[in-house]
Amino acid sequence: MLIDLEAVTKIYNQGQINQVSALRSVRLAVAKGEMVCVQGPSGSGKTTLLSIIGCIFSPTSGRATIGGRKISRLPDHFLTLYRRELIGFVFQNYNMIDHLTVLENITLPLIPLGISPRVREKKGDLLLEKFGLRHRKKFAVNQLSGGELQRAAIARALINDPPIIVADEPTAHLDGILSLEVVDMLAALKKEGRTVVVSSHDPIVSGHPGMTRIIEVRDGLIMPNIGKA
Amino acid sequence: MRPSAGLLGVLLALAVLVSGLVQSTASKRCTQEENVRLLQGVVFHLGLSDLALSTEARYTRHPAISDSVVVSMDHPGAIDHFPSTFFWAPIRR
Amino acid sequence: MTMNSVGRLLNILDYALYALRRKLLKNVSVFCLFALVIFFLSSFLLVSKALTEAAQRILATAPDITVQQMSAGRQISIVASAANELSGIFGIEKIDERIWGYYFDESNGANYTVIGMRTPFVGSPAALQLGLAEGRLPALAEQGKVVISDNIRQHLQLGERKHFSLFRPDLSQAGFEIIGLFDKKLEIITADLILMTLADARDLFAIPEGYVTDLLVYVANPNEIDTVARKISDTLLGSRIITRNQILKTYKVVFNWRSGLGTICLLTALAAFVILAWDKASGLSQEERKEVGILKILGWQTSDLIFLRFCESLTVSLLAFLSGYVLAWVHVASFDGALFRPVFLGWSVVRPVFSLAPPFAVEDLLLVFTLSVIPYLCATAVPAWRAATVRADSVI
Repeated sequence: MLIDLEAVTKIYNQGQINQVSALRSVRLAVAKGEMVCVQGPSGSGKTTLLSIIGCIFSPTSGRATIGGRKISRLPDHFLTLYRRELIGFVFQNYNMIDHLTVLENITLPLIPLGISPRVREKKGDLLLEKFGLRHRKKFAVNQLSGGELQRAAIARALINDPPIIVADEPTAHLDGILSLEVVDMLAALKKEGRTVVVSSHDPIVSGHPGMTRIIEVRDGLIMPNIGKA
Repeated sequence: MRPSAGLLGVLLALAVLVSGLVQSTASKRCTQEENVRLLQGVVFHLGLSDLALSTEARYTRHPAISDSVVVSMDHPGAIDHFPSTFFWAPIRR
Repeated sequence: MTMNSVGRLLNILDYALYALRRKLLKNVSVFCLFALVIFFLSSFLLVSKALTEAAQRILATAPDITVQQMSAGRQISIVASAANELSGIFGIEKIDERIWGYYFDESNGANYTVIGMRTPFVGSPAALQLGLAEGRLPALAEQGKVVISDNIRQHLQLGERKHFSLFRPDLSQAGFEIIGLFDKKLEIITADLILMTLADARDLFAIPEGYVTDLLVYVANPNEIDTVARKISDTLLGSRIITRNQILKTYKVVFNWRSGLGTICLLTALAAFVILAWDKASGLSQEERKEVGILKILGWQTSDLIFLRFCESLTVSLLAFLSGYVLAWVHVASFDGALFRPVFLGWSVVRPVFSLAPPFAVEDLLLVFTLSVIPYLCATAVPAWRAATVRADSVI
């Protein structure tokens, strides 16, 4: 299993008056090459689940193994190292840095790896080509349309060639046609052999033919299998 | 060129500039050396005890000579002296 | 360090420079302010160093011991024959009589230093040794002949005329003829000098026959100066003995005290600046928070982000430091510290023209560095750390 969560619990503000249990003893296994949709109302623990899969923080208790690496109780420093290697992120609000160009934005993850500007540009060019953004390379990100931004965001997620793509509501700000385009792209990544975890309540996403599984999260628990073979 | 290379270049240029200025001042000091020997001769023969920087300051010009307008005048170890302590010129008549 | 980590540092430095360029106006103003503080600080240091050092070098040949008479706590004229009493002291090479006085020129408010000496000096050619630009020294028996500086000639508005007169205490006039001019190169010590014979000086100041203002004692062995000074003070009761060391020390103290005062003022400015830097660095805008969150989630370590801020601060402060330091050298070495001359020299009507050539000392450089760049880096360190510890999940 590429993603393997065993009795994973995440408690925010532990021991304080505003203590919240975001995940309660969750168990989840995702194999390589799967495309999983995580559904659930806001506050259900969706984002927390994605964050643990995305190596952003480690669970409070339980065992989490991502890409064969045990991330439970790891300090931030090592989580970051795994994150660089394993995960590509796509966000609902794109999370681009406004004052940088498209190329600079998508090559941001390469900077702390010590990769030279020339190589960064080459890698960036390849991905921009692939996503049809070559002509937008030197544009400031605020000159891009929503669809282009999300394509750029997917390009950025792929710059490190990670085995896992984590997408948090990637179609939330897009209309139907653009949403479909984005899910198609994610599905294409799945075809390349990557594992894709998408959170969304957009039927275009959950109903996409490339989706292998839908997971429903409620109150910090994963509901019994509800859908899609 | 990378911005970092540019920065290093600028820093290097400034450092070279500093060393150039230091060098040129050092050579200026060398040419002054002759003059210093001349000055030392005058100092020796006239028994001068100070530079003529504050010529109104009798106390600095000659630590021993004092008059009624000089404050703290009678000890060579005293550090304050009129009018060198004043930063600006007084009103002229 | 591997190639990779060098690459990482350079990449982050690049990114830091982009970030600085983005807020160009703000960073340029910080740079200018900082450079200005450093310029003042190092100028001050260099001027004070140059002056102290010049004084130490030039005055190295000042008389070993100056002997004066005290009365009621004030200095008065001393009997010239006191020299005879000292001649028995072993170790004294030579004793010169001198009249040293000041002449206040009411018409232009200038103060001249009048020196009456027994001339010509031992070990001639004296004119050469005294660095006269033209003319000669007054001979022992000559009357009313003086050597002055070009500076004084201009103050007296003599032009090509050779004769001028000064007032005696009783307002009668004493006439003088200029027979020599000091070399302009010697202005730093001769700017206000009028050199004449002992008899003329005595006449001008109405000092009784047989009296002088001080006796200059030259000692053969420099190690003996203090011993000889003690013996003189035992021999001549009521006298004041000033050794060369005391003069040089006084001088040093004066300039140290001045530059110290200036440094304190400037340190206050620096402190204010550092507080400003702290303030600027600590306010973390929403946009900056978002940027840090994005970078973290994309795989930047906390240490990368701290290094990023460090690069920004270091770039600004190092550039400002070097620029300020360069400007200070130009200011002191090429413009002779024009801005600080009033502070160091006080005001005078008679002003010597001379050039400053400060010596370079690594410790001065380090002093300015530790007083400026290091506090700035420290002031920005904590805000940088706080900014870098924004959580990665803050953007999802």
